[in-house]
Amino acid sequence: MDSNTPPSSSAAAGSADPSAARRNSKRPKYSRFTQQELPACKPILTPGWVISSFMLVSIVFIPIGVASLLASHNVVEIVDRYDTVCIPESARNDKVNYIQSPGDKTCTRNITVTKHMKKPIYVYYQLDNFYQNHRRYVKSRSDAQLRSNGSADDVSSCEPEDKSNGQPIVPCGLIAWSLFNDTYDFSRNGQQLSLNKKGISWKSDREHKFGKNVFPRNFQNGSLIGGGSLNSSLPLSEQEDLIVWMRTAALPTFRKLYGKIEDDLQANDVIMVTLENRYNTYSFNGKKKLVLSTASWLGGKNDFLGIAYLTVGGLCLFLAMVFTILYLVKPRQLGDPSYLSWNRNPG
Amino acid sequence: METAINIAYACKLISNEMKQFIISSETDVIREVEERGDQVELARVMKEEVKKELKKCLEEAQQYFNTLSGPKLALVIDGKCLMYALDPSLRVMLLNLSLNCNSVVCCRVSPLQKAQVTTLVKKGARKITLSIGDGANDVSMIQAAHVGVGISGLEGMQAVMASDFAIAQFRFLSDLLLVHGRWSYLRICKVVTYFFYKNLTFTLTQFWFTFQTGFSGQRFYDDWFQSLYNVMFTSLPVIIYGLLEKDVSASLSKKYPQLYMEGIRNSFFKWRVVAMWAFSAIYQSLIFYYFVTDSTSTGQNSSGKMFGLWDVSTVAFTCVVVTVNLRLLMMCNSMTRWHYISVGGSVLAWFVFVFVYSLIRENVLYVIYVIMSTFYFYLSFLLVPTVALLLDFIHQGIQRWFFPYDYQVVQEIHRNEPDGYLRAGGLEISNHLTPDEARSFAISQLPRETSKHTGFAFDSPGYESFFAAQQGVYVPQKAWDVVRRASMRSKAKAPLPPKR
Repeated sequence: MDSNTPPSSSAAAGSADPSAARRNSKRPKYSRFTQQELPACKPILTPGWVISSFMLVSIVFIPIGVASLLASHNVVEIVDRYDTVCIPESARNDKVNYIQSPGDKTCTRNITVTKHMKKPIYVYYQLDNFYQNHRRYVKSRSDAQLRSNGSADDVSSCEPEDKSNGQPIVPCGLIAWSLFNDTYDFSRNGQQLSLNKKGISWKSDREHKFGKNVFPRNFQNGSLIGGGSLNSSLPLSEQEDLIVWMRTAALPTFRKLYGKIEDDLQANDVIMVTLENRYNTYSFNGKKKLVLSTASWLGGKNDFLGIAYLTVGGLCLFLAMVFTILYLVKPRQLGDPSYLSWNRNPG
Repeated sequence: METAINIAYACKLISNEMKQFIISSETDVIREVEERGDQVELARVMKEEVKKELKKCLEEAQQYFNTLSGPKLALVIDGKCLMYALDPSLRVMLLNLSLNCNSVVCCRVSPLQKAQVTTLVKKGARKITLSIGDGANDVSMIQAAHVGVGISGLEGMQAVMASDFAIAQFRFLSDLLLVHGRWSYLRICKVVTYFFYKNLTFTLTQFWFTFQTGFSGQRFYDDWFQSLYNVMFTSLPVIIYGLLEKDVSASLSKKYPQLYMEGIRNSFFKWRVVAMWAFSAIYQSLIFYYFVTDSTSTGQNSSGKMFGLWDVSTVAFTCVVVTVNLRLLMMCNSMTRWHYISVGGSVLAWFVFVFVYSLIRENVLYVIYVIMSTFYFYLSFLLVPTVALLLDFIHQGIQRWFFPYDYQVVQEIHRNEPDGYLRAGGLEISNHLTPDEARSFAISQLPRETSKHTGFAFDSPGYESFFAAQQGVYVPQKAWDVVRRASMRSKAKAPLPPKR
């Protein structure tokens, strides 16, 4: 490996002819990059920089944290767990049997609104202990099939829910097969509250991922029914419940948007929820919860961002003060040669 | 022997204050036996003599060693004696004696003996050895040492071909060791630890996910994100760092040769340093994973819609890429424009890639557009890298001020000096150079002739003053040059042509 060689040119003996010298020269072509002489910025982390960075972070973060926390506090969220209470007393010993047997599964719940909720009020269903992020589950879908009619036969990754009676299932896969099928109806003081079920999925899903000319076929035809069934006259791009369900969640406790109530709810209103308790979460100890929530510019009721920003901002402020004290208590002159190790321990 | 000692004086290997131990085969005793011609007897006598001498020198050396401020020691030994001194029974004494000495001069040694001496020190003292030579007779020595340096020149290229490093002139050895060797050590340490850190961060974020997937092995990131992480999004900055990083400039490296001790003490690759990087990676991966997943458990924008798995993981991945690249910038001691280009370019490449990729790939279709349409993304994009880098920043702030490395103190001492790269051809002498430096800079710009004696330790004499005089630059005469010219038999007429 050659180290950098400084210029060495040869000259004819006794003469200083420059052009002859350059011709025989072995000097490599000079470039600032190869000679490592690029102009560089050499930052030194002095106490001034440390303290000012901390102050800057705290000045930026604390207001953001306050804003986020305020937004989150303004959101009103009501959570109601109904999976156990919606099973009649007599059947509570064998919940799985109850849920799998045919019959009317209507259940009525009363929810009291704690604070004034402005419209639109979002209705979610929350499932606990449901691993939508399991590898086999996430794999079990066919995006090509969802998008276009022509790829209806592309069911290879959907096993075991790929074909039924020799015909491909549209939409195939375990995700679609386990479609959530509890339904909720809301009424207040005897009056039905309108539930808007349009626009609950992301626009890009509706327009690009689920085709407008793909219709459900052969769906839930088999011996084992995993969830809800689909209206075969509606194209997939309009089956918003399916679209929302198929956007697999990241964690085993998740909630999905069910619909929007387009009315204001006043404090102390009693909402009567008529729900159909059809979905079987009992065989794996899952929980079902109904959530009513407003939304701010930041989203739902999640204090995490607000608290995180405030904590970090406060921590930085605290660190700025600590560092200031440290630098005052143990001062060191910048560039003090007595800190060199050979000056500190002579010999 | 005399020549060797004189050359050693000229090279400043030996000085007048040093105590010299001379083990020579030119003593009267040995000459007597030589004249008798009996080889067996000669061998025996020589061995005896060498043993005696070695013992005597060793005892004297021990004495000097015990006193605190004794003079420095030098050993001079010639080839014939060395042959017996390298004998297994005497080798240990020779090694002990030479390790106590500041300089050891061996003259009239054969190539094999050169290699044997090198191996003796290498194996016996267990230190890193470097040997330098320019001729074919140095090849075995060059190969025996840990680091072999060959000087390419008019003695041929054998030494160069057998060596690990090849330089053009002997004096470049100081550059090789103090500047480039040191930088190379620093760069390798930092690059290796950084590489492990960035992959550890990236992988551990996925690892925390496995606890919440029922241990089914579902990946957190999309496949192509993972594959291209090391190829496209984080590779170029660390390459640029490894090429261009300098803790102090070349001239300061030579001015403070004690900085070389950092490499000898292995200060940048101790277990403590590696553990600190690993801890930082674990901390950051926890931040990436939990901050992102905990804040996406409810609806994400004013229309109440929820994120799916791929949305969450894309947010996390974006934070990882940005943090890891910014961490590199935090680690740099000298930032050139290539650093900015590569770091900015890598982050930009990530965004461009994900914009295009999410239009094509089915499972992450439109993911980036979805997440970028929420305020949440921008807030977490600001928060998560800041929190992740906070620990490292605090650590650097404390370490830099209260426990600085030597190179950091040197950086601070010379923080106001410019780079001093004056290379625009002519004799550009800036105000910062002292007259001495200005003069030597001017001379270095003069046309030079090839030095035919590249193996020697001193410059070719004479031409400097000749060319310098022509250009009108005053050069002080060198002492040995004056002596040399005075001792020449034919009186040359001035101006003196370069003698070849």
